[in-house]
Amino acid sequence: MRLTKFLTLLIVLCVASSTCQRTPHPVKKQLTLAVVSGVEGDALKQAAAAYQSQTGTTINIAEFPYSNLFEKELIDLKARTGAYDLIMLDDPWFPRFAYEQLMTDLTPLLQKRGQSGPDADFVGTSIALCRHPYQTGSLYALPYVGNSQLFFYRKDLFEKYSLKPPATWPDVLAAAKTIQEKETEGANGGKVYGYVMRAAQGNAAVADFMPIFWAFGGEMFDPSGKPTVNSPEGIAALELMLELGKYSPPGYANFNADDVGAHLLQGTAAMSINWPAWISSFSDASKSKVIGKMEFTTLPGAQKPGQAEIGNWLIAIPRTSLNAAEALEFLIWATSAEQMRASALRGNPPTRKSLFHDKELVAKYPAYPAQLRSLENSRPRPRTPYWNEIENAFGIFLSKANSGELPPAEAMNQANAEIEKILQRAR
Amino acid sequence: MPKSRRFFSAHAKRSLLLPALFIAPAIAVLLTLSIYPLIYSITISLQEETSAGIEWGLGHFARLASDNFFRTAMAHTFVYAAAALTCEFLLGLGLALLLNKQIRGRGLFRASLLVPMMLPTVVVGVVWRLMLNPNFGAINGTLKQFGIDTESLTWTASPRLAMLSVIAVDVWQWTPFVFLVLLAGLQAIPQEPYEAALIDGSSRWQTFRHVTLPLLKPAILIVLLLRTMDLLRVFDQIFILTEGGPGFATETISLYIYRTAFRFFDFGYAAAMSFVLLALTNVISVIYIRFLSHR
Repeated sequence: MRLTKFLTLLIVLCVASSTCQRTPHPVKKQLTLAVVSGVEGDALKQAAAAYQSQTGTTINIAEFPYSNLFEKELIDLKARTGAYDLIMLDDPWFPRFAYEQLMTDLTPLLQKRGQSGPDADFVGTSIALCRHPYQTGSLYALPYVGNSQLFFYRKDLFEKYSLKPPATWPDVLAAAKTIQEKETEGANGGKVYGYVMRAAQGNAAVADFMPIFWAFGGEMFDPSGKPTVNSPEGIAALELMLELGKYSPPGYANFNADDVGAHLLQGTAAMSINWPAWISSFSDASKSKVIGKMEFTTLPGAQKPGQAEIGNWLIAIPRTSLNAAEALEFLIWATSAEQMRASALRGNPPTRKSLFHDKELVAKYPAYPAQLRSLENSRPRPRTPYWNEIENAFGIFLSKANSGELPPAEAMNQANAEIEKILQRAR
Repeated sequence: MPKSRRFFSAHAKRSLLLPALFIAPAIAVLLTLSIYPLIYSITISLQEETSAGIEWGLGHFARLASDNFFRTAMAHTFVYAAAALTCEFLLGLGLALLLNKQIRGRGLFRASLLVPMMLPTVVVGVVWRLMLNPNFGAINGTLKQFGIDTESLTWTASPRLAMLSVIAVDVWQWTPFVFLVLLAGLQAIPQEPYEAALIDGSSRWQTFRHVTLPLLKPAILIVLLLRTMDLLRVFDQIFILTEGGPGFATETISLYIYRTAFRFFDFGYAAAMSFVLLALTNVISVIYIRFLSHR
């Protein structure tokens, strides 16, 4: 009996204490941000700290590595936990979140603040990513980091062998051949490879292939939505990629960004497609053996003008956020010219045209004019909620072709069949 | 008083209350962390999201039959497990037999053999990834010193060498475990059967075949069971070494399940694949136990 009494008392105490905790606190504004670890997330964390000290709004940060961020956000948003008020999104994830209606439409909120839409200073291709459907639909996010691919090449070697800056992919191939044959004494005594690329399955292979694919006139889907990667244009593009592979360091079929970066920094490869985040390391004496020797330009073309793949970081407000209005205030503040300038100084390319022309920033980042040209002409990855699955399948077959496991036409046929299967399941 | 009636007496009720209370937290934890997720994953493996809503059925399991990636990943898993297990077992047994004798420096050998096993798998993956790097790695660097042409030795990037590389890393890391268990088994064998075999004039091979092996069976069973289960669900080191590549060359079923669940967000299909893997693991375990636990 004493035990029963004791237990009853215990339960009463538990219930009492939990109800006490539930009595409302004096309302204090609070926001929770899901950010990616690394330079992009660091800039936003810095902005959050500044915002907190200016406005008194408490900002909690939930930080995840890139490889976990997508799943964390999607699980929380689908489970409607309301854990986050703002989330950072890599742009290829956006269609999935939009398709599942997990984000807040920003237009009505902006209208409440007396704004008809996003600031006209944002780069058109960046803001187009934030709309669903692409370019024309409602606004669900604002662009924060304005990455798009650039073509990196060794200016000194091009001058040495009187090569013109590469304007087309056949030019690139010819230059790769010349440099690899003639330049036999690389920065560390070894040879210099003409080109270096990433062909590890998944994101890496696809990102390095898309600009070639597009330049050759390839399209992933026809207007009716049927996959067409095995078109003659697509196969020709893959054949060129494999030709370039002959001038790429051995093992490139499993390379990721760090391998490509290492080869360029060590001076053991002459050209590559890469992202702006790498630019600053080339002038860092502790990492680079090629200081002052690199040039950054827009992507080469072929049958069509060159187009880069865009890769922006966006910030959105989940539909489950309980503080959407307050979250929007922070979002507008963090993507303002002043705050984005601070982010740019930390190494993140901006998404505002005015900042690409900012004197101090251009002095610090001489590639800004090229970056803006690349960004304004860039293309997004195909906008489908099944992109992760499609990219995975496509990447597997690109990697198989590059590792010599499949001939190019066969690889593209099999890729097309797999993509078709994914789309059929989705229907 | 008959036993059954005493069981329900008031006194017994009270004396059962306290143990029940003590067990309750464990049961609650088990229910929330094991039973509920298990039931939930069975449920979602039988549900398909369609435009018309949720449909019940065996759709996910039917899809397995036409999924080339699934079949290939399964085949890779079994090749990987069989090759790694064979190497680990033979090497581990050999080492255990060698170090079961009184030789000088035995302690040092044993201690140094255990180092790979004590390292976290992720660390092993990263270290080997660096060592196997075709351009800057220690392995090709060393081979070059001996004048060997390493141009075609791209290890994790070659469809032919990648599987071999990931198997070699597993063998490197887990042979010590097999060795340790088998050594413990050997040391538990009494001397008498060996003396009897000696008196009967049996050869060394006969002694090994008819005395050591049968008496070592329990240890062999344990080590094979544990390693097989681990090998069939291998994830971390392959994820770090090759991420399943190049192409699909080293994709095992766990990697594919992970991708399906957390990259493509198809939890139902991932759950269905997990159950197939679970069933296969169970079948293999039962076979082991049948073969090794009875004469």
